[in-house]
Amino acid sequence: MRSPDPLRLVALAVGLAVVLTLLAPRPARAFGDAGAFDPRVLVTGSQTGPAHASAPARWAWELEQRTSAPARLHPSVVRADDPAIIGAPFLYWSGDAEIAPLSNEEIAGLRRFFALGGLLLADDAGAGPHGEPSAFGRAARREIARVLPDGAPIALGTDHVVFRTFYLLHRAEGRVEGPEGLEAIVRGGQAQVIFSEHDLGGALARGASGMWEQPVVPGGELQREHAIRLAVNIAMYVLCSNYKDDQVHAQFLMRRRAVASP
Amino acid sequence: MLSTHIGTSADLPPWAVALAAVLAVASLALLLVEVRREGRGAGAIAVTGVLAVCALLAAVLRPARVAARETAVGPRVVVLADTSRSMALPGDDGRPRSDARDAAIARLAKRGADPEGARLVVLGFGDGPPTPLGDREGHGEASARAAHSDLGAALRAIAASAEERPAAVLVVSDGRLDDPPEDPSPAALRAMAASLRVPIDTVATTASAPADASIRRVSAAGAAVAHVPLPLRVDVGCAGGLACDELTVTAHELRDDGPPALLASGVAHLEDGKGTLDLTITLERAGSRIVEVAIAPQKGDAVPANDRRLVTFQVARERVRVLHVAGRPTNDVRALRQWLKSDASVDVVAFFILRTPTNDVRASTNDLALIPFPVDELFRDRLPSFDAVVLQDFDAQPYGLEKYLDDLRHYVLGGGGLVMVGGQKSFVAGGYAGTPLADVLPVQLGDSNDAPSADTSPFVPDWTPAGRSAPLLGPLRAAVGDELPEMPGANVLGDVRRGGVALWSHPSRKTRSGAKMPVLAIGDEGDGRTIALGVDGTWELQFSDLGARTAGRGHGALWSGLLGWLMRDPRFEPAQLDVVGGCTAGLPSTLRARLPPEAGTAASPAVRLEVTRIDGQRASLHLEAPRPHDAESVDFPLPPLETGAYSARLSAADGSATRHDFACEAGGDEWADTRPDPKRLEALAEATGGSFTMASDAGSLRLPRPTTVSAERHVTPLAPPWVWTLSAAALLGIHWIARRRNGLS
Repeated sequence: MRSPDPLRLVALAVGLAVVLTLLAPRPARAFGDAGAFDPRVLVTGSQTGPAHASAPARWAWELEQRTSAPARLHPSVVRADDPAIIGAPFLYWSGDAEIAPLSNEEIAGLRRFFALGGLLLADDAGAGPHGEPSAFGRAARREIARVLPDGAPIALGTDHVVFRTFYLLHRAEGRVEGPEGLEAIVRGGQAQVIFSEHDLGGALARGASGMWEQPVVPGGELQREHAIRLAVNIAMYVLCSNYKDDQVHAQFLMRRRAVASP
Repeated sequence: MLSTHIGTSADLPPWAVALAAVLAVASLALLLVEVRREGRGAGAIAVTGVLAVCALLAAVLRPARVAARETAVGPRVVVLADTSRSMALPGDDGRPRSDARDAAIARLAKRGADPEGARLVVLGFGDGPPTPLGDREGHGEASARAAHSDLGAALRAIAASAEERPAAVLVVSDGRLDDPPEDPSPAALRAMAASLRVPIDTVATTASAPADASIRRVSAAGAAVAHVPLPLRVDVGCAGGLACDELTVTAHELRDDGPPALLASGVAHLEDGKGTLDLTITLERAGSRIVEVAIAPQKGDAVPANDRRLVTFQVARERVRVLHVAGRPTNDVRALRQWLKSDASVDVVAFFILRTPTNDVRASTNDLALIPFPVDELFRDRLPSFDAVVLQDFDAQPYGLEKYLDDLRHYVLGGGGLVMVGGQKSFVAGGYAGTPLADVLPVQLGDSNDAPSADTSPFVPDWTPAGRSAPLLGPLRAAVGDELPEMPGANVLGDVRRGGVALWSHPSRKTRSGAKMPVLAIGDEGDGRTIALGVDGTWELQFSDLGARTAGRGHGALWSGLLGWLMRDPRFEPAQLDVVGGCTAGLPSTLRARLPPEAGTAASPAVRLEVTRIDGQRASLHLEAPRPHDAESVDFPLPPLETGAYSARLSAADGSATRHDFACEAGGDEWADTRPDPKRLEALAEATGGSFTMASDAGSLRLPRPTTVSAERHVTPLAPPWVWTLSAAALLGIHWIARRRNGLS
């Protein structure tokens, strides 16, 4: 009687494991992805993608690593005139150059998105070191004004809930230091559009080699960490809205801020 | 047989006869004065004068012979007999007051038996219009069942009746009436009889009070609102020679999830047999809640049944307090939180797990806006303060909730609402299978936590027949119709448990029994309600093509219905229950179920009723009745129930259920104050011009006289009119001659 061939036994075991894996109930991990945070890239006019292509995926990855929030590691891209624009509550719009005026279809799509309660982050990838808006920054505000003619951007100071939805932040930072706060169009207490003059995507972008794509100025890697934290906070604001404004959290956080402040 | 008498001409009204008679008498008087003054020829003048006056009177009256068939009809006297529960209390001789009432009516009836006696119509009064006494309930203590003694309503009903107006109204009662109230003004009493325009005679059955300590009244200052302190004023009293200077008063909420819960207690000090105590109670649960207000038993108390009152409070919610716990932030959590926050009537306390032990936050604690999840405080100390708990995509084990799952189960059984919303960490995946919490969910969770936890195949839920007709999903159906968005997967749920109803089901997945797997199910457990929603994609009612077409209204409509049903909002109840006329211990009653209109079903599904004592000391009562096609209500006759608090649960054919709590008391308000009040009856008689007497003297009461009625009448003049006129003229002429002869003009 021949002794069993060890290689064949191993192959059999591997095959059995594969079969069992396929037959086993699919893990619940996939269930729930539809509700995960999706930094969906909004493209308009002749745009083909975000200013920093790897930034949205990195944003999702950082969110999953740091928080309990599920995120789509392969964010989707949607055009403003695509009916699918109303498929999720968040859009990420970035650029560093002039954009064409929005078409009527694009305006209608964005209005439907906002009417359902969606939130758009307009990230100026071409912002100057001190937050000087680029052609995209100016164009984004111009076009959003056409979409939401009744809304005007207001300053979101560091006392706004977006600065404490997960991390306690003392100012906004991105690839560039930019202004201390953010600006937003707010309706019914909820931000509809957040304007960033900090190039958040630039701080998040990471190449295939694993290296950061853009240098962060002037604060270097600490500033990059703060930029990532802001991105995490914005994602948490999308998912939890003003949860951290609830009274039960407010007093606790007030005490912690007092301790943490220099 | 005809009787004959002399009368006046039929064309003369009574006043003309009277006027002629008066003028005749006056003429004779003047004649007498004149004759006295004139001595000469007075006799002739007087004789001719009298004859002339008589002839003149006869010429006016024209006498006739009247032959008539006449009968004397006794007056219609309405006897209003008090049929309220207070007539079952002991009277002066220790027997029920209704015995004295019946004896008094018998004495009156004996007088009515005379040929020309009064026609007595004996009616019983209590609730609303009076009804013939003895038609249904008979006499004696059996006719002392009404929950009220509303004399005012009875008098108004008689006045408005199209029947013959009574010549008199006679009230037989102990005087402890709802209307008129105690110490009424004479004007108010007169007003009661104004529309009848007859005097009200009164007969008091009882004069002396039994030895009794009681809770006379419990009144609340305003409406009961959940979680809000409610001031109660408790009036207590001692009567009948019972000595009590102070009474200990307690207020307990009767609950079906445990022994009565003490809400408040205090000592009432009595002066002149009366005392008042102010208590403050707080009811945590909305809906109908039964509070027992009781005094300590007193030695020698002849009526111990009124030592406690069962007061039903319809507890409203000023704001619905919801504890929203989410295991991780997702779009579904976002949508639910935004809806909860947008509703001004909802007070949300939210805790989301934002960080797990496996997350690398790359920051110190002081850089984080995270607070510890206060599981002990929330689920041990604060749980009763919430109206509903929403566990969304939340697993119990990592956060120490496991040890509080039994508390959550008790919270539901005690009246709380629970929603478990699906996700990766819900139901079986959340470790809830086999736990105490699984016992109150409307679906089974499998035998162990090793069972498959989720089906990740996208699907569109099916509406079940119950879901299509459920009022709680009415707003959603109004917004989206039959359409539902595609769900990215579902938690694997088992069969619907007893008392649960599936509203959505999976189109292809089956349970172990072969039934379609429930996706959305509701259930009643104990005093509370639970909802199992085995998907985490309801946010797509807002963000989807369907959401865009319906302006995202579907999501709010779904949750408005779910939360409303959980909080027993009447709009979302499958039926409205009510005990018609209230429940009196020891007497049969009727529970009426008002059902929403049916949508053209050919069959006539039965509805089932289960009546349970809240303390669980008696077996439940099970009744079933077919639902009539053409009626929107079903009446369930209830057998006599003992004193206590009861819960009635109505189940429709599709399994949907509703609950109504009610109390049965031996005497209710009618026994709260056992003192008779003959003075009130005396004042009523005096104000309306009637007479008052005690029941023992009822036979001597003065009744109205009979009325004569002519059935046949023949009038024959004694002489033609010209004879009377000619005679009068001739006699006047003779009288004139006699006067002239004696020197008179």
